[in-house]
Amino acid sequence: MPLAGRRLVRLHLTSRRVPVALAVLVACGVALRIALHWPWDSYGALQLPLVFEAGSAAVIVITTASPFGEPERATGRWLPYLRLGTAVVLTAVAAAVLAAAGTGAHLTGGTLDAARNVAGLTGLGLLCAAALGGALAWTGPMVYLVVGWYALYAEWHGPALTTPWVWPARPPHDLGGALCAGLVFAAGIAVITVRGARDPAGE
Amino acid sequence: MTAATGVPTAARPLRAVRAPRPIPGRLLRLELRRNAMLWMAPVAIALFWYHTYRQCMAQPPMWNLRAMTMQHGVLLDFVPPVVGAAAWMGWRDSRRRMTDLVAATAKPRLAAQLVTWAATTIWAMVAYLGCVGVLYAVIAQKATWGGPLWWPVAVGAAGIPAMSAVGFAAGSFFPSRFTTPLVTVGTLFALGFSSQGAHNASSPWQISPQLAFPADVGPDPGMGTFYHYLPDLSIAQLMLLAGLAVAALSVLGLSADSGGRWLRRSAAALTVVGLVAAVTAVDLTGTGRTDPHGMVIIPALHDAANDRPIRYQPVCSRTAIPVCLNPAYAAYLPAVMAALAPVLSEVTGLPGGPARISQTAPIYSQGPGIGIGISVRSPSLGGSPADGGNRQVSLILPGQLPGQQGTSSSQFAAEVRSIAPAIVDLVITGAPVGQDRIPGGSAAQQAVAAALLKDAGLQLAGPVRPGQIIRMPNNAVPGPTPGTPIYAAAQRFAALSAAVRHAWLVTHLAALRAGQISLAQVP
Repeated sequence: MPLAGRRLVRLHLTSRRVPVALAVLVACGVALRIALHWPWDSYGALQLPLVFEAGSAAVIVITTASPFGEPERATGRWLPYLRLGTAVVLTAVAAAVLAAAGTGAHLTGGTLDAARNVAGLTGLGLLCAAALGGALAWTGPMVYLVVGWYALYAEWHGPALTTPWVWPARPPHDLGGALCAGLVFAAGIAVITVRGARDPAGE
Repeated sequence: MTAATGVPTAARPLRAVRAPRPIPGRLLRLELRRNAMLWMAPVAIALFWYHTYRQCMAQPPMWNLRAMTMQHGVLLDFVPPVVGAAAWMGWRDSRRRMTDLVAATAKPRLAAQLVTWAATTIWAMVAYLGCVGVLYAVIAQKATWGGPLWWPVAVGAAGIPAMSAVGFAAGSFFPSRFTTPLVTVGTLFALGFSSQGAHNASSPWQISPQLAFPADVGPDPGMGTFYHYLPDLSIAQLMLLAGLAVAALSVLGLSADSGGRWLRRSAAALTVVGLVAAVTAVDLTGTGRTDPHGMVIIPALHDAANDRPIRYQPVCSRTAIPVCLNPAYAAYLPAVMAALAPVLSEVTGLPGGPARISQTAPIYSQGPGIGIGISVRSPSLGGSPADGGNRQVSLILPGQLPGQQGTSSSQFAAEVRSIAPAIVDLVITGAPVGQDRIPGGSAAQQAVAAALLKDAGLQLAGPVRPGQIIRMPNNAVPGPTPGTPIYAAAQRFAALSAAVRHAWLVTHLAALRAGQISLAQVP
């Protein structure tokens, strides 16, 4: 990659606070690993990974907030690719970190579950970023965390929520849940690549 | 030049000048109009409907069950909107690059921050009280007895300012785009998993605002039904939440730009007070225990006046042997009657038989180590023939009602029917026995009892040794071993028609109780 390209990527990542986001993602993984040290009861064990997955997704989507606003959109043609790459790479890193945190410990749902949930939550957050702005993109993953939290509780105590759109309550190998999460992720990635996060008004 | 002598003019009355509106009031009005919580309130309401409201509606229509379930879920629903909005408002000045500008205002910075926090909390409280008001209005339409429990509402109401204070303080001290989601997730984790560490009523984790009941019992219909709902745990939770709110808000006053020296010292003192209150609440909770009525007693906070039973007029069936329940369980009287009808038809009209079956309060006891046991009072035959036949059998209903945590009607009926052996033994032997029936009495008594239970629709499993715990299928009770003379006599007696059996019992019951009937004499 030419020097100018590398510099552009570095500046873009710095402007989005991606290094801080990476550090926070690693911290989430460490915190999850520490939490898995203790035994959790029934639905507590189901809900624990979801908390960290939602936190990771919220951190990822926060990085879509641009400090420059509209003037940045008038720059060259690389911005969509930068947005796409940032979102995809951070999502992959988050899934990998959480999977690594669960290695050797009893992570309910395993790697597949973590990857699906992180992808779906991130997609939701990206859609919120396009609608509300990058700084408010955390609302989607946080609200969905409560939705998934109750779905996991209902899975234990009944009546269970079986819709695949509440994918945290679906088994790890469930195709419907994976498809729904994947669709949301793809939609979020597409929207954030093309349009980016909504510029804040009057901030 | 002469001095002009002006004609004195009438003095114009001074226009009354309205006193300037107090600045905090004006500021509050502005903050209320511009607050992020105003936009998050619909989110909070939606989450409340999805989670807590539906969970409450899935519980039987009893005030205690639904109120305790409400406390269990409502704060979780409000964490993302309230903590998120508060943290968002907390770092507003930094986000808009106005920190230096607002630091130069006349009023202490802390005053303006408190107004912003207050506006956030006011909108959150409006949403909370609206949600709870609707929930309680719906419960009032469905509940058959009792009134609203206000202590769970108070705990939730105290949790709202505490959560907003924590979020606001985090946003103020760590003005970063990452603060809002991280403090929201952290608060949700702390609140949602705080109850996991509570294994019994003596655990300090029992202080979790999610818990309105002993952690290992769960919302039980017997709590707050026969005896008053104890506010001990709620008071400790209020102390904790108030202490956290005071400490979080006072911490804002510790920074150098918050105000003068006296303000910072006051803030430091209040921070200590808040932390001490919170720690004290946790310590007090650690001294708690489960009382015999299923509630948590904290000795330092307990008022003995709350230990008196609740007076009520029981709801009774119009049958030969009436079954009477607490009016809170009125909706389940038909199901209880249906479950007990077969066995009651066997003993109706027998001399010395029960005149009435009355529900009584269950007794809760804390087991050794973790865990709690719900021990039932033995069905006893109260009264004497001298009372004109006022002989009453006590009945404990199951702790899980139909619809509660997936309990089916058939499971409920089977649990109710488990008292049948005790009723039959009570009539046949005249001696009270435990609800877990241990076959006793003479051989003839055992055979007759087994026959009556078989005819009432119960399956006879093998014998159970005293102290032995086995899992039996629904509708099965301990009985004589197949192939034994007792078993054969029971089969023989059960094969008789109901009228013949009843006539024989009317004639021979006294002798049977006295042990004067041998196995061979059982028809």
